[in-house]
Amino acid sequence: MIDIDDLHKRYGDKIALDGVSFSVKPGEMFGFVGANGAGKTTTMRILMGVLAADSGQVRRDGRALAFEDRRRFGYMPEERGLYQKMKVAEQVRYFGQLNGLSPKEAAKATGDLLERLALTGRAGDEVGALSLGNQQRVQLAVALVHDPEVLVLDEPFSGLDPIAVDALAEVLVERRTAGVPVLFSSHQLDLVERLCDSVGIISAGRMVASDTVEALRAREGRRLLKVVVRGAAPDWTTGLSGNITKNGDEVLFADANGSDQEILRAATAAGTVEHFGWERPTLTEIFREAVA
Amino acid sequence: MNGLWLVARREITTRGRTKGFVVGLVLSAVLVGALAVLPRLFSGPDSFTVGVVDSPALQSALAGVAKDAEVTAEPFADEAAARKAVLDGDVDAAVVDDRRTLADGEVDRELGALLESAHQAAQTQKQLAEAGLDPAKVSAAMRVTPLEQVSVGADTRYEDVRTGIAFLLVMVLFFLLLQPSMYVAMGVVEEKGSRIVEILLTSIRPWQLLGGKILGLGILALANLVVIIVAGLGAAVATGFSADLPPGMTGIVLGTLFWFLLGYAFFATMAAALSSLVSRQEEVSSVISPLTLLIMATYFVSYFAAVEPGSGVARILSLIPPFSTMVMPVRTAGGGVPFWEIGLAAALMAVATAAMLALGARVYERAVLRTGARVKLSEVVR
Repeated sequence: MIDIDDLHKRYGDKIALDGVSFSVKPGEMFGFVGANGAGKTTTMRILMGVLAADSGQVRRDGRALAFEDRRRFGYMPEERGLYQKMKVAEQVRYFGQLNGLSPKEAAKATGDLLERLALTGRAGDEVGALSLGNQQRVQLAVALVHDPEVLVLDEPFSGLDPIAVDALAEVLVERRTAGVPVLFSSHQLDLVERLCDSVGIISAGRMVASDTVEALRAREGRRLLKVVVRGAAPDWTTGLSGNITKNGDEVLFADANGSDQEILRAATAAGTVEHFGWERPTLTEIFREAVA
Repeated sequence: MNGLWLVARREITTRGRTKGFVVGLVLSAVLVGALAVLPRLFSGPDSFTVGVVDSPALQSALAGVAKDAEVTAEPFADEAAARKAVLDGDVDAAVVDDRRTLADGEVDRELGALLESAHQAAQTQKQLAEAGLDPAKVSAAMRVTPLEQVSVGADTRYEDVRTGIAFLLVMVLFFLLLQPSMYVAMGVVEEKGSRIVEILLTSIRPWQLLGGKILGLGILALANLVVIIVAGLGAAVATGFSADLPPGMTGIVLGTLFWFLLGYAFFATMAAALSSLVSRQEEVSSVISPLTLLIMATYFVSYFAAVEPGSGVARILSLIPPFSTMVMPVRTAGGGVPFWEIGLAAALMAVATAAMLALGARVYERAVLRTGARVKLSEVVR
């Protein structure tokens, strides 16, 4: 269990974090979303100890994080950092050993990871000779090589092609299933929605929402009722309350919380009801709402 | 410790493989080897071949006078044959009938003196024998112990060689203090600019990263220095120049290694601290200009000390850190430096290096994660 507790950080006059708190449970994939400059990277850097908070604390299982804890974390910083002149396998091994693996363990872990990430053929190439997408895979390998107990990844999916996204997602899901808390930030909300158990939304240095995806959806106030009626007269909705959007046979009712039964009766009277149900808001809609 | 060594090993394997390092290593070794041989080439030969026509006494006398130099006598049947051999360059000179010396132009000064004294000895012996003296007694009387040279002032026999060694040291130390310090600076900025340092510092401590970098590049530079010394001494031995080397070479070599290590630790730490203030390679040269100036200044004062190793200014400079790192070995090569001065200089420099390590590590630790605009030194020293 990783607890981020009331982090505050200022850069001069600018307030970067204004009381950020959230938790990531073991075996939970946590998506960290927010606009550019909202404070995601600052939070993650404080979590990883490369930046000091003005106040607040990061704890693991109730204990304040120490250097030795973070050694067992896997970290992918926002700006990718690799030695351009170092060979791929050599580099991944090096970071494995820096994190305490024996040369043998590091070599084995490197071989396995490069295989998983489809980089085996490039193992002997200098990192600088790889495409950006492949460099990113190497970056991920560096974060994963020591079989970390916690994963903290800043924008791991940015710049990846769909196949690489799937490969990365698969690796992350596998770690999550193994009980590792996984925290990553992303602007690809559909991806976060697909992968994450919980989502934290940060805006201007404050957490505006942090919960499971289901709970966030349930809490969403602006719900849409979608009704599809075949063979109905175009004006069947006349007289019904709510904000109505029509698209052929499909009608969307916003703010229809109290009048859903009345709408159903009108629809049944008007024609064949093919669909009647609440639209689940997408994460994008939730996000727009939350940061608005 | 493991982290420190891993970092050092990476520096050695990646930097040691670069073209720049390999070229520098080979060039410096070749250059120093050549410089060690060069004076030998200009000082002229130590072995001569002399043609001799009908002068058997001279032939044996030559063997007696030529102590340092090797003179081979080659008999010729007549003057014409000797003349031809001189013109063809087969012999350096020829002595004909104990009367004339033939040479192509002027006789080499050293050879001329040798021939003259051999001639004097041979003729004296011959004339004394002709005057009726017992040849055995004559030759016994002729056996004179040569004058021994004793210097009552400073021992100046090796002055030129010592000066030569001092100049070589100035060059070599300058190169080997500046180059790896630049590598340290570039390496620090490479890691900071690419943010690798963020990953590194979640795995190892700043002192391990900084220390490993300085250690690894230092081992490379030390290897380079050893190669240079071996090349220089090897060339000297191969050409027979080693016989002209002053006594105490072991001390000079060990002293150079010692001062190099202290100086390197000092300058490399300074390079790391200064370069940790910036995030881009383009800014490196400007941010480390205080370091380059300091090394240049050390170079110039040690150059001066190589010219005037005994002067009061050189004595004072050889005590002041970090000038002492180059001035003291240069003075030591000049000879006659009291032990207490070396000890004092070493103690002062050790203190300065320790202070630089403490300060540098502090600056580095505070600045290296602050990417973006150049960090002000005053902000991180406090």
